[in-house]
Amino acid sequence: MIRLDDVTKIYRTRSGDNVVLDKVGFELRMGERLGILGRNGAGKSTMVRLISGAERPTAGRIERQMSVSWPLAFGGAFQPTLSGIDNIRFISRIYAQDFERNLAFVADFSELGSYLREPVRSYSSGMRARLAFAISMIIEFDCFLIDEIGAVGDARFHDRCNDELFCKRGDRAMVLISHDPGYLRDHCNRFALLHGGNLALFDDFDVAYDRFRDVIGLNTPSPVDRGAAPDRAALIEVAQHRALADEQFRMLVRDGDWARDAGRWEEAERHYAAALALHPFQRSYWVQHAHMAKESGAYARAENSYRTACALGEPAADVEAFLRFTVAQGGGDPDAWPIHPYTKGAASAQVPGRADAEALAWLLRGETELSDDVLRDLLRRHGSCDALAAAMAGEGQNAAWTGARPAPTGFVHEDAIRVLAFAHLPPATGEQRVEQLSAPDDDAPETAMADAFRDWPMTRKALDR
Amino acid sequence: MAPPVSPPSSLAPGSWRVQGRVLKALLLREMLTRYGRHNIGFLWLFVEPMLFTLGVAALWTAAEAYHGSDLPIVAFALTGYSSVLLWRNMPGRCIGALWSNLSLLYHRNIRVLDIYVARVLLEFGGATISFAGLSLLFITIGSIDPPRNILEVVGGWLLIAWIGAALAIFLGALSHESELVDKLWHPASYLIFPLSGAAFLVDALPPVAREYVLYIPMVHGTEIVREGFFGTRITAHYDLGYVVPFCLVLTLLALMTTRWVARRVVPE
Repeated sequence: MIRLDDVTKIYRTRSGDNVVLDKVGFELRMGERLGILGRNGAGKSTMVRLISGAERPTAGRIERQMSVSWPLAFGGAFQPTLSGIDNIRFISRIYAQDFERNLAFVADFSELGSYLREPVRSYSSGMRARLAFAISMIIEFDCFLIDEIGAVGDARFHDRCNDELFCKRGDRAMVLISHDPGYLRDHCNRFALLHGGNLALFDDFDVAYDRFRDVIGLNTPSPVDRGAAPDRAALIEVAQHRALADEQFRMLVRDGDWARDAGRWEEAERHYAAALALHPFQRSYWVQHAHMAKESGAYARAENSYRTACALGEPAADVEAFLRFTVAQGGGDPDAWPIHPYTKGAASAQVPGRADAEALAWLLRGETELSDDVLRDLLRRHGSCDALAAAMAGEGQNAAWTGARPAPTGFVHEDAIRVLAFAHLPPATGEQRVEQLSAPDDDAPETAMADAFRDWPMTRKALDR
Repeated sequence: MAPPVSPPSSLAPGSWRVQGRVLKALLLREMLTRYGRHNIGFLWLFVEPMLFTLGVAALWTAAEAYHGSDLPIVAFALTGYSSVLLWRNMPGRCIGALWSNLSLLYHRNIRVLDIYVARVLLEFGGATISFAGLSLLFITIGSIDPPRNILEVVGGWLLIAWIGAALAIFLGALSHESELVDKLWHPASYLIFPLSGAAFLVDALPPVAREYVLYIPMVHGTEIVREGFFGTRITAHYDLGYVVPFCLVLTLLALMTTRWVARRVVPE
């Protein structure tokens, strides 16, 4: 049994004390597998280090009545200048184990062959992970600590790891941390949520996960470095990284993935849409969004999302077959409406996607949403943002919208508006202009519009008419 | 499947055995990491200090360095410079040792102290083999006489090792908390070197200087080693009543600092 009693851990930093764990307590017995959920930086890894004994608590007691492993598959536990064999020899000596037997096991399990004689620093990250996991399995601990093993190796290796851990060693105690709550759901029988230094315990994953969702939802999204993206191309590039660093985004796409895996297409589409509303320029989830719409028969919406993904740089070859299928299903001729190839350069010359079209509709017409069919028509016809905006600005008698616009919602995103209309201004000024557009003051929106679309010749012409 | 590992407890009778095992593993690992299996491999452990000592002996002979006695200069350099290597290399190897071995703390049998002790033992081994080897060499070729009192040589040598080890563990642990230690140790060791008795006999100094130089603990050890080697040919000055309590206090400080650091250390 392992027992934590009022365990507190405080890190002293230059900016004051950081209380990571505040009187945390639980017991863990043989056969119990505890999965710990928590936001980035909540203290999950600290907890694992404390349980392992590598680090000591500031206050409180940790009682271990069984042997506890080091954090599994932890690559740092070996000496990079030594060969794999020498590392195995070292571990065998430390734990008084038979070296020959261990070597045979590691060689067999890691499939590293003659590489075992090479220094570990010459290994690829995958080889390191295989060696680390195999070495972790040579000592028969009562309790295994597992910090992020899901990211290790290929699928087949992953399966073998799971077999070693959860089948052959299913009777042991375990503490698991993973960025993937699904992994915890599948392998743990107890759950905990670490938040604000406190640990809440649950027997049921769904209850724990609901609380985790609340915790992430209640908090404002992680601060985003907006200034880093002066134009649309840069915004597309950082969006891939930003989105995956945003816990809310990850939570939403995870919900989407789970609904998709369960075949609940409409629910999955809703989750993906909510995620994309946070980061409308993240291309790969537009493909997922499109697949879900396609599965539930909304072919126009699916087509729009496939086109959006391509407009943001998703390789056309990966999407083309799906796009042709949805065009055909929607009653159109796939050859008449090909994909507009992705282009680099200024926003005005780039291919528009749904996020661009809706932002432009908001800018030029004060609308926050376009119907699937209208949007499909626009994306099919216009190969550049400039052409699309010019078409919107020139339509109807009331050329362009004047007056205040509603607050941006849905896929209409402040960043998108800025990189479309105000990329010629410094980002900070551009942000001010975007605010002015929805200001209730009569003059501000018009002043801002006069400044917009400077390098968009067709749009400017339509607006000035 | 191997038998499960029992949870180690510091009170268990087997805990000494565990610690011995860990130290041996750390020693072998350290030797491999430092010297590898290339060319002469771990022989560098003592070949390197031997080269140092030989070089210094040659330089001093060539320069006919003044040392205040009629002793052969080779014997003088051998006893003096070997002693310097002994107390100076241990702290050098222990400062910053924990940073490069942080990941080892995930093995719960390995304690912070073990990492330092392993390095101290390795340095002690290297310096001792070098000293003994060179002594044998010079005695065999007849450039120096065998030591008059070999036990006294051993005693003095162990005393220097004690000073070096306590200093090494103390500075090693401190260096984990402040990088100033590393920065200050280099100039300090260079300054102590000429004052440590390596290059002079205390007896050759004026009485006023003698009094001050004997505050430096290494001087006592070097004097004892020389008395063991040369017997009545020199007059040695040392005071066990000063140096032993000094070592005890330094050892206590070293252990307390290590304990303090072990409580605060954050593995990567």
